[in-house]
Amino acid sequence: MRAIIGYGSSIRGEDAFGLDVIKELQKLPLKETKLISVHQLTPEMVLELQDADEILFIDSCHDEKNPYALACSLREQSTLNLSHHISPKTIIYMLRSLYAKNPHFYIYSMMSGSFDGITDNVRYKDRVSMTADYIVSFGGE
Amino acid sequence: MENRKIIIDPVTRIEGHAKITIDLDENGKVEDAKIHVTQYRGFEKFCEGRIYTEMPAITARTCGICPVSHVIASTKAIDKILCITPPQAGINIRKIINLAQIVQSHALNFFHLSSPDFIYGFDAPKEDRNIFKMMQTHPQMARDGINLRAFGQKIIEELAGKRIHPTGIVAGGVEHKIEQSQKEAILSQIPDMMKIAQGALEFFKTNLHKFQKEIDSFASFPSLFMALTNENRTLEHYDGALCFMDSEGNILKDKINPQDYREFIGEAVEEDSYLKSPYYKPLGYENGMYRVGALARLNIAKTCGTPLADEELKKFKALGGGKPVLNSFYYHYARLIEIIYAIEKIEELLNADETMNENVKVTSKISNLRGVGCSEAPRGTLFHDYQVTKDGIITAVNLIIATGNNNLAMNAGVKQTALAFVDSKNITDGALNRVEAVIRCFDPCLSCSTHALGIVSSKIEVRDHNKKVIQVIDRN
Repeated sequence: MRAIIGYGSSIRGEDAFGLDVIKELQKLPLKETKLISVHQLTPEMVLELQDADEILFIDSCHDEKNPYALACSLREQSTLNLSHHISPKTIIYMLRSLYAKNPHFYIYSMMSGSFDGITDNVRYKDRVSMTADYIVSFGGE
Repeated sequence: MENRKIIIDPVTRIEGHAKITIDLDENGKVEDAKIHVTQYRGFEKFCEGRIYTEMPAITARTCGICPVSHVIASTKAIDKILCITPPQAGINIRKIINLAQIVQSHALNFFHLSSPDFIYGFDAPKEDRNIFKMMQTHPQMARDGINLRAFGQKIIEELAGKRIHPTGIVAGGVEHKIEQSQKEAILSQIPDMMKIAQGALEFFKTNLHKFQKEIDSFASFPSLFMALTNENRTLEHYDGALCFMDSEGNILKDKINPQDYREFIGEAVEEDSYLKSPYYKPLGYENGMYRVGALARLNIAKTCGTPLADEELKKFKALGGGKPVLNSFYYHYARLIEIIYAIEKIEELLNADETMNENVKVTSKISNLRGVGCSEAPRGTLFHDYQVTKDGIITAVNLIIATGNNNLAMNAGVKQTALAFVDSKNITDGALNRVEAVIRCFDPCLSCSTHALGIVSSKIEVRDHNKKVIQVIDRN
């Protein structure tokens, strides 16, 4: 099973990028795929991800220098943290250490210069579509 | 020796962003210590001009961990403006959701934020003193924490629509009645969750003897206590009246209608923090320092009203020898008892016939131009106070967040702990961890509802009286 998690704030402009990609993906007939929209990653999410062979995290990333740049990374670059919200790396760490699961994971990010709104609606929508298409092209449909 | 300042920034394993400064005198002794809340949110101002119906959704964004508390206080304030009382089923469902949040929030603090200190000790190497080490050495305990949090979050999602920033709690009640299948699904988990909660409490009590010095010096002092309580002083998280108790157990004032809170609570502002410093008005600023949250609630309550929690409450109260328990280290103890209570109460409310009634909401029009909503959040008493025009436009907002009520006590606690453990000639990581840990006793929620704009390293700077950094300790 493949899990795709879009996370961010629905009322903070481009921070909703992950949520909007999930909305795009919901229109498509993806097989054996669990789509999850959340405000933030939380510890108990690991219970939903135990059966996932592959996990895709979709987020927006604050970067004023490269707005609307897309990145697919990164495996181990996010920070290990645990509070009421956690990082992708922490999710993977928890799956490995507590549930003996070792899924592949990727993080798809769109750089954003501001979360105060959507600065360029055309480019934003284009990046949402591009990311959804890219994910679909790598299996699951 | 020059005056020096030790800065712990950011404080770790709490919700939100804060730093601690410890001022040393010319002899290198701790002179003062403070917690500075470095986030500015501005909700009270930017809510002005909004329509009142938006307030639950807006104020829920105050926080990503206790949005339910804000939604409940907000909708209760609007209930007052509309002059309506929700149907009993609506009230019961709100209560269940509120208790579910108590469970998930308290579970996070105990299992994932504080337990590394209890397992490895406050002087353990920082590499070992964290949740990730705990996952390796105590995986079942980590899984228990996840399961208990999932239990609370699932209830919130099922009954209120979303786990974070739920929309199902509305003015006049709730949006949806409880389905039989939802009721059965929640009830089926109760035995396992109770087993986890009781196991955690047993673990904590078994290990308490290791922490006598911390118990004695982690914000252990006389103060007032404030909480909502029922007429017969049973534990209450949703409704009731405000009660102030002193450190001897005397009731200073009770049966305070939350609508009248301003007569009894003053709000001071300090230059070095964005967090308000509320105090009990009749005793004045600082003398009116009070504590809220689980410790205060259990000190004020005569009973919990549920059998298993009441058994534990008797043992808890014995710690105070007939008087209130003054040691903030026991906030952890009190939270664990509250988890047991919340699980019992959720079961009781779900099994009440009126909870399943289909009538869960009433509506009305504006009747009052001011409304105060008050409830017990995981961290203490929460106030939402709105003023509106007759057209429903918000003209003034006053919020007293649960954590803010504890501001004066947290500062006093930081100083007490620094005096007890910080030696300027040998500043150890264990000592600084204790200064942070006293804050974790209060489980402050300094708020974090959006992504951080970067990762700040955990760093301690030692500065002289000219603010010149003379020592840097990287705590990563």
